[in-house]
This record gives sequence, structure tokens and C-alpha cells, in this order.
Amino acid sequence: MQRLTGIGVSPGIAIGRAVLLLQNPLVVRFPVKAGRVDDEVARLERARRLSEEQLREIKARVTRGASDLGHLFDAQILILQDPMLLARAIDVVRREQVNAEWALQRAFEDVSAIFDEIEDPYLRERRGDVADVAGRLRMNLGYGRSAGRELFRDVEEGSVLITDELTPSMAAQVDWTKFAGFASDTGSRTYHTAILARSLHVPAIVGLGDASARVLPGSTVVIDGATGDLLINPAEDEIEATRARAARWARALRSYEHYRSVPAVTGDGLAISIQANVELPDDLLFAQEYGADGVGLYRSEFLLATISPDALSEDVQYEAYRAMLQRMAPLPVTVRTFDVDEEQLVSWPQGLERGRAATAARSRGPLGLRAIRLMLARRDMFRTQLCALLRAARHGRLRLLFPFVSGIEELREARAVLKEAAEELERRGETAPAVPVGVMIEIPSAAVTADLFAREVDFLSIGTNDLIQYSLAVDRTDARVSRLYEPLHPAVLRTLRHIVRAAAHQGTPLALCGEMASDPVLLPLLIGLGLTEFSMSPSAIPVAKQVICQVRAANMRRVAQRVLRMATVEEIERHLLASLGEVVRRATPDDERVDGAT
Amino acid sequence: MHARAAARFVHTASAFASRIRVAHGEKVMDGKSILGILLLAAGQGASLTISADGCDEVAAVDALVALVDSGFGELPCNG
Repeated sequence: MQRLTGIGVSPGIAIGRAVLLLQNPLVVRFPVKAGRVDDEVARLERARRLSEEQLREIKARVTRGASDLGHLFDAQILILQDPMLLARAIDVVRREQVNAEWALQRAFEDVSAIFDEIEDPYLRERRGDVADVAGRLRMNLGYGRSAGRELFRDVEEGSVLITDELTPSMAAQVDWTKFAGFASDTGSRTYHTAILARSLHVPAIVGLGDASARVLPGSTVVIDGATGDLLINPAEDEIEATRARAARWARALRSYEHYRSVPAVTGDGLAISIQANVELPDDLLFAQEYGADGVGLYRSEFLLATISPDALSEDVQYEAYRAMLQRMAPLPVTVRTFDVDEEQLVSWPQGLERGRAATAARSRGPLGLRAIRLMLARRDMFRTQLCALLRAARHGRLRLLFPFVSGIEELREARAVLKEAAEELERRGETAPAVPVGVMIEIPSAAVTADLFAREVDFLSIGTNDLIQYSLAVDRTDARVSRLYEPLHPAVLRTLRHIVRAAAHQGTPLALCGEMASDPVLLPLLIGLGLTEFSMSPSAIPVAKQVICQVRAANMRRVAQRVLRMATVEEIERHLLASLGEVVRRATPDDERVDGAT
Repeated sequence: MHARAAARFVHTASAFASRIRVAHGEKVMDGKSILGILLLAAGQGASLTISADGCDEVAAVDALVALVDSGFGELPCNG
């Protein structure tokens, strides 16, 4: 077996036989006789007409599926009509008397060369749209060569598509009833095809480098769109293990249809707020699709994934925050200020593309100069971010969250910078609205003093991943001790109870974000401990809602009281599973009754 | 300017008969060309100069300035 790791851009698991699609252009170039020039121009015109029809058809189809993606193809239709591409190609045909393919390639290369000089990575990637349009024109220049659906007519269902590059328009034309997933050599999280894959719920990996050269057509491959792993010719037991996980995903997708529109209310009527963790603006699409009650955690440092720190000006940030707030309004958006260390500040883009490394990268120097500590050391950068956030605030419901705060002094200092930012805006004649301010409770010192924080902030948000790691002094990435990382450790549960009480005593709203909330066994216990607001990755929302609808808060409070008196994780887990039995079984994949229940 | 914003700009510009030019720094581009607009590579906060020449030049400039000022956000795109 061979394992390649790329960037997982659309979660889910696909197992199937590989079908290869290679799009490297093959262009024949030759001069044409003077009398044939008009024919070549007519071929280009015809290709344009065909291409426009196809793009409009694709756009209509995509718009029916997920309303917000049509604009991808609006831009392509405009590129098709753009004087810089086709008109230039026609000009080349007439002036130099060459065939249409050659002229088109020349025009495309000219435009590409200009794009390559652009430093903004977003714009450089739009070159992909031009390439997509040029590829479509090239295809339509050919006589009788068919695209999309036609091309894959004889492919068996459940195949996996492996490509050097999957352009958005090709992706939109692919018959996805035939393909369980796709993997491509090129691409990034922000590429349009990645967005499309997520909206179509097709597991996908991009940025694999040379997968299309390593996979033989017909060989068995496994795609894990969450981890970014591509397995080539896996062993039988590996396939079995993957099948079990695939079943869980399929179940989550089925329940999502039902639970996206159902409010999260326990059996005895306690309303729970389920919000989404968001990394890139495109993730908003999912937050909305899965029925999130808002964005509970926007990890603003992911802006660095597409924009270099130097280019991350106030205006650029303002635009990003404004778009997000506007899109989610009237639902709240909690923006966590930059949570990076110095090294990530310099090399974030690589760190990110190498595999969602927020948590992995953290383990390098988790106790060093990072997050609020770094921002207070680099006040200018911090003030710039806060100015951008305050300006954006009037476009929606913004909440500000400071990460990795260890003591009240840091909170006060951060507030002082916020005040400077507000004054700066007022100096410019802009308004600075009052924005709710909160802190992450993720360092044990902050947890112990939660009552002090509760007095000074508008809300608290518990970050369980770090809180557990630091409370138990366990490095999760160290395989020798990682089993000691245990959310059900009595110390963790008592810490959570302490924070809940401290917040309740002051009447300060309290949320919890972190993996703990998306575990169907732990979530009911958290509700029993008194938590009512959670933030999790969008794909976990349907299962969480399902679990919530099936438990009673009063029962869970009794369970919580019982387990808080227990001494070992094993005891706690056993009691929890026994009390939840039915609910947990329904939330796990291989249970036949699930279909009837949803 | 991102693709969606550029598309809106071009849609709006194309509704007018006038010849439309957009300048950013030294670069001048055809306001009806999406590639041209993208290639201006004007980031957010950059200042653009929009000029029009033709029978509906005043209305064209007014409409495009209003579009840019609105942050491209609220206007629906019916392309």
C-alpha cells in the first residue's frame, strides 16, 4: 500500500476503483492559407457559442443545488466574452494566419503571463479560471470531442476520480452519481473546485503533487477528505476499517437533511445553541447549510493562509470580516483574534497547506510567545486587526474573543489596545460601536480564576482541546503519552463545573468550543454540567442536533452529578454509556434502526 | 478585486454604451473586460480612477462609483 497526503478539502470517505483524467493540453499548431482564415475565425466563434451555452447550463445546474455558487460561472462567462482572450485570438488568426488552436493558446499564454506577475495569491489563482475557459474553448474547437457527462458515460458507479487538475467547470459537469470522490495533483483549499466539492458533499483531496502519475487506472484507492489521505492499493483490513468510517459519514449526511432545519432542543425543552467553527470564509457555506446558529469561533489567523502578513492591511481584513458578518447576519459571529506564534506568522501559508496544522504546529512551542502574548508584543498588528473588526462590526453581530489569556492583566491590556483602536477610528471620523468582548478559557490559570474573568467580560468561551492538554500536562502528539489525554478525567469535569458555576454566578454567557462538543457521548454530559452554547466544525452539527433532541437535560444533570463523584475515567465512561445507551447507539453508524428514526 | 466583485463591475459597465476606462496607478484597463479589471490587481482600499467617454458617460461613472463605494455587497448580480 502507498499513502499520499494532500489537503483534505471536502470531508467524507470514498473507496473505489481509480479513473484517471489528465487535462494537459495537446495543441496542434500550423499556419493556414489566406483563404482559410475566415474558417478558423468561424471555428473560434462557434466554440465561443458552444462554451457559453455549456457554462450557462452548468451555472443553472449548480445554482439549483447550492444557491451561492453560480457566480463562479458568471465570471467564466465574462472571461469568455472578454476582449483580452477570444478577441485577441481572433486577431492572431487574422494577422498571422495560424490555426484557431494555436491562436487561442497564444492569447491564453499572454494573459497567463500577466497573471503570473501578480503577487496576490488569490488573483494568481484566478488564472485557473482563465485556463478553465481556454480549455473549454479548446475542447469545443475539436470536432465531435465530447465533455463531461459524455466523457464518463461508460465509467462504473462508485469510481474515484484521479486528475492532474480538476477545473471548476469540469467538476460541475462530472456526473457525480458515478464518482464517490476525487483527488487532484494541484489545487488549494480556496480553489473553486474545492468549494464545489464541499457543496456537493463529494469527498476530495487536492494538492497531492503527483498522484495522477502514481495511481494506475483501475487500482483500488481510498480517499479521506477530512485527513487528506489517499491510500493506493490498501490491504483488506485497511479497507474494512475505512468502510466503518465511511458508514458513519454516510449516516451523518442522511441525518443532516433532517436535522439542519430542526432547532436543537432537548426532550424536556432546553434550547441549545449550536454554532460553527470556521477557518476560511468559504466554510460559511457549510455553517449555513448545516443549520448553525452562528459562527462560534472564527479562527482569524487563517486569513494568513491566503494573504501574506505584510499584505494583511486593515482594509483587507475589514473586507474579510465585513463579508462574513454580513453573510451571517442576524446570527452572531465570534472572531478570535490572531492565534499564532512568531514562526507561524512568517511561514503560515506553508504550515497550513501542509495539513491543517493549527493543532500540530501549536505543539512545537505551545507555552511560548503566541496568541494574545504575541499580539501584545506587536501592538501595531493587534491594533490594526481590532480597527478592522470595529469597522466591520456595524455590518452584523460581532463578538470579540481573545485567545490564550492566562491572567486578568492580559485581558485589561488587550482591552486597552481595543480602546486605542476605537479612538483611532473616532479620530478618522468613523464610528466605533460597542462590541461584546470575551476570553478563551483554555489555560488552567484562567479556568481557576474564571470567576474573576466573568466579572470583567461579556462572555466566556472554553477551549477544551488546550484546556485538557494543559490541565493533564499531556502532549497529544506524543504517541507514548497521548492515551493520557482524557476529556472524562475527573479533573477536567470538575474544572468545567467550576467554570460553569463562576459564569452562572455573574450571569456571564458561556460557550464551549473544541472537539469535546462534537462527541455524541460527551455532549449530553456537557449539557448536564450546565452548558447550553457550543461551537463545532460544521460537519459535526447534524449529529450533535440529533443527540440533543434525544436527551433530557434533567436526566443529564443527574448523570453529571453522579459522575462528578467518581474517581476513574473507566467508571465515568461506563456510567455515561449506560445512561446514554440508546442515544449513543443511534448516533453510531452501523445501526439499522437509524434509518427508521430519521 | 475578487472575481465576484470584478464580475459585478463588468456587468454594470457593460450596461452602458460609453467606452469605460479604469485606472489604478499607471495601469489603465477596459472597464468592460473582466480580465482587465482583475489584472489591475487593485487590493481593497486601493484608489481607482473611473472614466467614461460617450453618450451616457455621466450615468456610467455615477453607477460604477456607487457600486465600488457600496463594497460590491448589496447589489444582486443577474448575469
